[in-house]
Amino acid sequence: MPSLVDGTSSSKKRKSVKNATAPSSKRRAVAETDGPDAMDDLLRLEEQISESRKHYNNIATLISRLGADEDPNLAVAVSLCRVFSRLIASGHMTEASHSAENEKIVVAWLRERCREYQRSLAGIIRKGDASSQITALTLAMRLLNERATHLHGEDIQVWISGFFKNIVEAVVEAKDGQALRAEFVEKFAKQYEDVRYYTFTQIAEYASTERDEETLDAITAIISAIDTVPEPQHKFQNFYSKASKANKKVLSFNAHKKAAQDAWLAVLRGNISQSQRKSLLRIMAHTIEPWFSRPELLMDFLTDSYNFGGATSLLALSGLFYLIQEKNLDYPQFYQKLYSLLDADLLHSKHRSRFFRLMNTFLASTHLPAALIASFIKRLARLALNAPPTAIVVIVPFIYNLFKNHPTCTFMLHRETRDPARKASLEADGMDDPFDPAQKDPLLTAAIDSSLWEIHSLQHHYHPNVAAIARILAEQFTKQWYNIEDFLDYTYQGMMVGELGTEEKPFKRVPVVEYQIPKRIFTDRLLQEDGGVDTAQGSFMRGLWDFA
Amino acid sequence: MPPSQLKQLKSSLRDSGVVGPQKSKKQKRQNAKTGAGGQERIRRNAALEAIRDRFNPFEIKTAASRSKFDVTTRDGGSKTDKNHRPGVTKSLGEVRRRETLLREMNRKNKVGGVIDRRIGENDPTMTPEERAAERFARESERRLRKESMFNLEEDDDEEEFQLTHKGQSLSFEDGVNLEDYSDKDMGLDEEDSDSELPHKRKRVFEDEDDMGGAADGEDEGEEGLPERKKSKHEVMKEVIAKSKFHKLERQQAKEDDDDLREELDKDLPDLFDMLRGVKPPPKPEPPKDDLGGMNPERAAWIEEGPGKDTEKEYDQRLRQMTFDQRSKPTDRTKTEEEKIEEEAQRLKKLEEERLRRMRGEESSEDEESAKEDGSDVDDMGDSDNESVFDDAKAFGFQMSTDQTTSRPELAVEDEDDFIIDDDLVETRSDVDLSLDGSDDEASFVEDSEGEEEDAQEDEHINGLTIPEGESATTANGAQTAADGLAYTYPCPSDHEEFLDIIKNVAVGDLPTVVQRIRALHHPRLASANKSKLGRFSAILVQHVAYMANQPEHPPFAVLENILRHVHSLAKSHPEEVSQAFRRHLRQMSTERPLNPLPGDLVILTGVFAIFPTSDHFHAIATPAHLTLARYLGQSTVNSLAEISTGTYAASLFLQYQAISKRYMPEFINYVLNALCILCPKEPTTSLGAFPTRSPETSLRLKATKSTVAPRTLRFWDITGPAAGAEEELKLSLITTLVKLLDTASDLWSDKSAFTEIFTPVHAVLTHLVKTWPAKLSKTTLQATLNKVSTHLSQARLHRRPLELHHHKPLAIKSAIPKFEESFNPDKHYDPNRERAELNKVKAEYKREKKGAMRELRKDANFVAREQLRQKKERDAEYERKYKRLVAEVQNEEGREANAYEREKRLRQGKR
Repeated sequence: MPSLVDGTSSSKKRKSVKNATAPSSKRRAVAETDGPDAMDDLLRLEEQISESRKHYNNIATLISRLGADEDPNLAVAVSLCRVFSRLIASGHMTEASHSAENEKIVVAWLRERCREYQRSLAGIIRKGDASSQITALTLAMRLLNERATHLHGEDIQVWISGFFKNIVEAVVEAKDGQALRAEFVEKFAKQYEDVRYYTFTQIAEYASTERDEETLDAITAIISAIDTVPEPQHKFQNFYSKASKANKKVLSFNAHKKAAQDAWLAVLRGNISQSQRKSLLRIMAHTIEPWFSRPELLMDFLTDSYNFGGATSLLALSGLFYLIQEKNLDYPQFYQKLYSLLDADLLHSKHRSRFFRLMNTFLASTHLPAALIASFIKRLARLALNAPPTAIVVIVPFIYNLFKNHPTCTFMLHRETRDPARKASLEADGMDDPFDPAQKDPLLTAAIDSSLWEIHSLQHHYHPNVAAIARILAEQFTKQWYNIEDFLDYTYQGMMVGELGTEEKPFKRVPVVEYQIPKRIFTDRLLQEDGGVDTAQGSFMRGLWDFA
Repeated sequence: MPPSQLKQLKSSLRDSGVVGPQKSKKQKRQNAKTGAGGQERIRRNAALEAIRDRFNPFEIKTAASRSKFDVTTRDGGSKTDKNHRPGVTKSLGEVRRRETLLREMNRKNKVGGVIDRRIGENDPTMTPEERAAERFARESERRLRKESMFNLEEDDDEEEFQLTHKGQSLSFEDGVNLEDYSDKDMGLDEEDSDSELPHKRKRVFEDEDDMGGAADGEDEGEEGLPERKKSKHEVMKEVIAKSKFHKLERQQAKEDDDDLREELDKDLPDLFDMLRGVKPPPKPEPPKDDLGGMNPERAAWIEEGPGKDTEKEYDQRLRQMTFDQRSKPTDRTKTEEEKIEEEAQRLKKLEEERLRRMRGEESSEDEESAKEDGSDVDDMGDSDNESVFDDAKAFGFQMSTDQTTSRPELAVEDEDDFIIDDDLVETRSDVDLSLDGSDDEASFVEDSEGEEEDAQEDEHINGLTIPEGESATTANGAQTAADGLAYTYPCPSDHEEFLDIIKNVAVGDLPTVVQRIRALHHPRLASANKSKLGRFSAILVQHVAYMANQPEHPPFAVLENILRHVHSLAKSHPEEVSQAFRRHLRQMSTERPLNPLPGDLVILTGVFAIFPTSDHFHAIATPAHLTLARYLGQSTVNSLAEISTGTYAASLFLQYQAISKRYMPEFINYVLNALCILCPKEPTTSLGAFPTRSPETSLRLKATKSTVAPRTLRFWDITGPAAGAEEELKLSLITTLVKLLDTASDLWSDKSAFTEIFTPVHAVLTHLVKTWPAKLSKTTLQATLNKVSTHLSQARLHRRPLELHHHKPLAIKSAIPKFEESFNPDKHYDPNRERAELNKVKAEYKREKKGAMRELRKDANFVAREQLRQKKERDAEYERKYKRLVAEVQNEEGREANAYEREKRLRQGKR
């Protein structure tokens, strides 16, 4: 049998590989010191099983030699796998209806042993160290394949409720299982379409019950790694088990999508933590949404996240936007919500550029009411007063673009008072800002009656480039629009490098030096000459600080 | 069939009236009387010429293809004369060549000849009258020209070079008589003024030659007569001549002196050599005097050499004297008030300059807008150099990948007029350091341009005379001798070397060492010193940071002095010092942007002392601002040390902006956040839009004992409080932060968004006052709160709606195609001026080249033809000669032959 030969050769190879790697446990080290003997013994037992039935008890011996889950004897596991594969393939584990009673007893006994072996494999996957986990996973999958192929009536059952379920659970629950899960995804779930399908099904089922955070993390890691969404016309033929071809579900594109969708929904419905929610939102657009044949199902999750506030809301925006745009999702008070996101921390958050990209899209429409746009402009201007230069640099061109699209709002830059009475009152009492920062509804803030004093003040920003940018609003609006993308990704470090360069370069213009050398910088040197009162440059510092 | 040629000729002659009915005699006479005959003849000739032309079809060349209609074409339309006369042009060219080329050809390979240099003689464009006029103009011009006052020969020359005709002067004004007269006089004066003889002789001889014997006789006759009384004119002349003679003698004496001195100078090196005890190298043997073998005349000329030289030298000197500068009145010494006034003016100018830079001067803005326009064009068309146009770049922003140090649009304007004084730290600055305090600060203020030279000289001398420095120090006691400072130190080339040099120097003596290094390596002492001092200044910057980072805190007086040294060096080496500062800032930003060392803070403090931080853009101040802002914006606030550092940075920022009053969001954010962290109770609601950062452990002020009083913060608080003094430090920090807010509210009171900026400040201060422990004094707090409140109400009063767009309305861009009113296909309407110009030049070049080639070809033809002709001539000559000879020979031979024949016949006859 070719598969068998394959099995032995591959297992040997694996073993040799393992011999090469440093032995991790003492026990195995012992086993390998008396390696030849133990190997011979194993081979002998294996031979005997294949020779005759009367040596079937050797199976029990082998299983007993398997050792604890944490520290398994892998050679034994491999040989057991070979034994069972042979038995299954040769039909010794199927009971014919006409077979004798004692035969049935033997078959039942064998099945019992097989189950025992499967349990211990799952145990190894759960608790073993990384390399034995992977070996056990490979063995388990091989055995699974044999069962699905040769055992009558097990071709679907073994996937859905049988051995595969145990395998998936074990993989998910495996401790320190990053390597294992990566192996599972790379070698099986991504490569074979039936494995992928059944993995999704199993995970959907598994995650539908309440799970703890760590498990959810593992699940998310697995299913987010499976990111090869099939095309609608895709022909499914890349199967792990030959028997899967007969299964209509595995051949259907919709079934695949549904399975994935269910799995994701199960995960999203779980009690996920704040950080998990954020990471899920981050992969939402690229990884999760393509699986969904009905993305509307994501609506609840996204709106929930959006209502969460803070960074989570920012992250939910893009998913939500996708739904609004593509799936006709009606989100009442979207702009109000968006407006509420403009808070003190926004401009200091690391998601700033992402948010501005989205906001650029949301506010692109020229059909939005001017009052609303004015509120956004005013709010951004207010925030700019406390923003780092990197953010101001984005805000001002953004506001410029808004003004360009909504010329009605330019009253915020230029408002001549013509009414004499109003003029008089202005002269007498000055004015308050009509803008109401506490108002939640952007349509009611009266921002359009206000002026952008904030941006005007930023024209006196300490950084000359920022000041120059702030000045564009006071100049004539000759430019069609500014490409926001060019302004988004600045950092302090980038600006420093922009100013200083990374290496020395000769000056184009020699910097000016203060013409007067101060009499004192730190100390009270020659103070009595100035009549004891320090008014020279730097007196402020000397007044506040004691340099001694 | 057209009539025959003869008939045509006859008819055309008749038509043009050349031949006609015979005129009567009366008519002829009448014509002769009125002069109509002449006119008639001219007309006749013209008519005949025309007829001749018409009957000679080969004289006129018509266009190759006859134009059937009048058409306008790109180039042909405007040509007026289509009939060329190839014969005429050809013969013209031929004539011209004969005049020039042929002459040249004939002269080829021949040396010598007379060149006619008379004005306009070889200029064919000038008529004889013009030539005469030009010559006359030239001559009178020469006469009128006022030669320099030292030209002794002037008046003589004037007479000497004159246009004459047969000895008669051609000048007009009463010239002839006077000239004759003086000419005769000259003969008289000959004996009296020998000195004049060489100049006059030529003239006299000429006269004699020209005028013939008559004048000679006269002269001789006069010579024989007793001396007659001299006229006034003659006397004057004599006096002048004498004075000139004496002058010449004096000069001669002076020259002799000079020669003597020169000779002495020449010997000086030998003298030095002898003094040094080195044997002078054997002098090269003077060239052998082998004049004997020479032509005696030539030898005489050579011998005469020196004498000639003196003459030449005299001329030279004379010429030099003409260029001598006349002395000018010197500036009078300024009075004390004027000096003060001037100084004040200068300071005012510098201050204005600073303010201009602070505003980010106008010219740079123009540049910026121009640049933007340019980039717009880029955006639309040019995409080869920059595939994607970056909007942000227009503002000087760039991603960290590409680096240019300064952005053109915001760069400071040229500041070369800034007077650089060489050495500002006076020699006695070490006296200052020893707290003498009697220093004259005025010497710090550098001298104005005029006096700069002197000042430098002084400095120079001061630098040289180290003992003076010594005497200054000895004034303080015997400490100098005791400290064992060397007087000379090498100029270090890197920081390690410097550390090595000052290894054994006490910190307090460091300024003296620096001073001595600077004095010893003053740029005026050696050319390499300038670069050395440049490097030294960079090292000093490094050293200031290094010192401040040392665990044993150096006295700030020393740091200050070094920084002042750096400042003074920065005036002469701005580049090096600035680079050193930038290097330090760069190092900070890459290695420790959020936890600066004490040295970094000292350097940042030095920035405001050395550089004008109020500038709109400054290569050091701007990055320094960014460094502060970055720390304030991103640092953690986990300990009192960090907050102290932050407070220091915030105070530094306010100091930077003391003049320009620019706004820094990070400052407000940090100060408010720090107050919220330090205040006794946490605010329940958000007090403003500033982002909050919280420390890991609470740093709140605890209301403990009332003995705690705020103090002035110390610089070294940035390393953290002393054990047990935390509360005191917290209290001091709060007080300082509140003071900072107080100052900031003053600085920014005229900002249009003052209300928005300071409403959160007000809220935080109110919260602070509310939660302030009862035992502690809250006077500063209350005062600041009141101040902010007044400022806020003031801001409310002054608030007006913005009116930013008082621009001229923009014209809508015209889309009408550009239309030429009177289009001329010959003209080029290239909108690109440069290209049009280039095309024009190209076309001209092509045309010229073509013409030149044609000319050259024709020349070559002509030359070939001429050569052929000459060859033919020569051949013909030869032939003729040959024939003649042959004929001659034949003649002779014939005679002989005849004789022979005769003889033969004779003999035959005999027979």
